[in-house]
Amino acid sequence: MNLTVRELRKLEGAPKTKFQRSLDRGLTALPFALATLLVAIYKLAPNFPKYAKNPIAYPVTNVYASFIGIAAVALLAFFVLSFFSAKAYESLLFKAPLYCAIFLVLGAYDIATLKTGILPLPYFPWVDRVLVAIIEDRKMLLDCIAHSLVLLFAGYITGTLAGLATGICAGWSARVRYWVMPLMKVLGPIPSTTWISIILIVASSLFGGSVFMIALGVWYPVSMSAFNGVSNIDKINFEVARTFGVKNAGLVFKVAIPAAMPSIFNGLTQGMSIACTALMVAEMLGVESGLGWYINWQRGWAEFAKMYAAVIIICLTFTGVNVVLNLAKKRALRWQEAKQ
Amino acid sequence: MSASVEIKSLSKVFARQETNGTLQALDNINLSVPAGEFITLLGASGCGKSTLLRIIAGLEVPTFGEALFNGEGIRGTDSKRGLVFQEHTLFNWLTVRGNIEFALKSARRHAAKKSEVDSWLELAGLSEFANNFPHQLSGGMRQRAALVRALSVSPEVLLLDEPLGALDSFTRMSLQDELMRLWQERRNTMIMVTHDIDEAIYLSQRIVVMSPRPGRIAKVLEVPMSYPRNRAADDYTALRTQILKFMDFARDEQEEYII
Ligand SMILES: Nc1ncnc2c1ncn2[C@@H]1O[C@H](COP(=O)(O)OP(=O)(O)OP(=O)(O)O)[C@@H](O)[C@H]1O
Ligand SMILES: [Mg+2]
Repeated sequence: MNLTVRELRKLEGAPKTKFQRSLDRGLTALPFALATLLVAIYKLAPNFPKYAKNPIAYPVTNVYASFIGIAAVALLAFFVLSFFSAKAYESLLFKAPLYCAIFLVLGAYDIATLKTGILPLPYFPWVDRVLVAIIEDRKMLLDCIAHSLVLLFAGYITGTLAGLATGICAGWSARVRYWVMPLMKVLGPIPSTTWISIILIVASSLFGGSVFMIALGVWYPVSMSAFNGVSNIDKINFEVARTFGVKNAGLVFKVAIPAAMPSIFNGLTQGMSIACTALMVAEMLGVESGLGWYINWQRGWAEFAKMYAAVIIICLTFTGVNVVLNLAKKRALRWQEAKQ
Repeated sequence: MSASVEIKSLSKVFARQETNGTLQALDNINLSVPAGEFITLLGASGCGKSTLLRIIAGLEVPTFGEALFNGEGIRGTDSKRGLVFQEHTLFNWLTVRGNIEFALKSARRHAAKKSEVDSWLELAGLSEFANNFPHQLSGGMRQRAALVRALSVSPEVLLLDEPLGALDSFTRMSLQDELMRLWQERRNTMIMVTHDIDEAIYLSQRIVVMSPRPGRIAKVLEVPMSYPRNRAADDYTALRTQILKFMDFARDEQEEYII
């Protein structure tokens, strides 16, 4: 019998009543309906009088409406597709509540800012203002993203390589462990951002100093996890490899490292979140480029829309970085039993 | 022709961390296995069979006496002495195919041909599962994979620690025939641990019966039958009865230790 996974779930799961099924169908239409409603409110409902009276000082553009409009069209297409593809239907049904929640929050925020002024400017710019700020300042923002990513990865890669080297060697050799463990125990608990003031004074280049600080923060979790990973490997793995004539370096590279990968990836994930924190600290306190610096700089000018714009960009950038890291992890750890 | 494996007055004592004492696993073992012989080790659990194989593989160092391979003292492991472990030992991070490739590549220092790996997969009946990871296999499949992984590098001495233990009796018998065929083709030395008296009689030229605590060689039996053997033949059943009787006797003698 050749069942698809979906058919299998359907066969083995509890059957749904007709009423439940029509509720589900309604739910899949809801995101599109809410998106349309959002555009309608934004375009048709009267703005807060203070803003409405002075469209030059408080411009209200079509950027936000277009964004939501595009989302609405996409959701409509998704909805139509879901009548033809059961896979699309299930995917939409799964995501619909989340989409609805996002639109509800966006709608509530729009009403609280632009429409009623409950949350006042300049601290609470409506979404349209933030989007316009991103578009207006895109050159600068792209430049900042590039600078941030260069610094982030320079530090992250340096720290990872150093951490793998010390962690794996310490897990492998008792002599290395003797010297590395005390170092890890002393340096480990110090948040790497602690070093920023020393680096500001001592480092000849701020970039180099920041790379060092980020790397130090990444080094600790990576070396700790590599160490734990290597020292917890079942010794039989090495014995098997040895019966095939694998020796020394071969045992490290062909057995110890792959077997320690699950643990190493825990350290890599932890290291990334530390690196992102350290990056922001470095950019806000010293380095004169990057997204952290941009936020601070715009704050100086009381450009709150641009600050929010940078926050959104930071969120997207770091999310992107973590998505890539998770994909790498998933691919590298395919061999692990699926954890449910 | 010199013996392929020779064990001379060998004893093995293990340190026991928890009691800070020691435990003698093997006591004064003397055994000479000529090149090309198929020999099995039979004996109750804990009588040091695995320990003996591990010493021949070079994973464990004898406390007294020595173990020789082709006349030379065994120091460390070598791909000429292969070991199929009692436990599940596939590398979890490699597919079945990857595991076999690992062995071939490590033993020969160059990558194996795909067709060669394919033929080993087929022998194990695992062609369909070539790209599965060990956790996706059944216990018996893993054992078959570990067996062909060790066979694939054609060791001069193959040490087998209950290699067919987790298999149903039909798969077991067909793999016994496969082992027999490979052995007759290559005439390498086979030293196999088993709990199955039938298996020992079916496959081996000599059977070493061991007794526990400390592990000693209680008796060495010749199997004077020609291959291929008939499991229903009279001398076959007679030998089985003889071994059973002897093992009962061996147990009686040790009764005070078994509670
Ligand atoms: N690394 C070790 N450290 C301490 N004691 C050990 C070690 N390995 C084996 N022993 C002890 O040596 C004895 C023989 O063990 P061994 O594994 O060789 O038995 P076996 O004959 O293979 O048993 P089984 O048939 O159950 O596999 C046992 O009492 C065991 O506890
Ligand atoms: Mg054993």
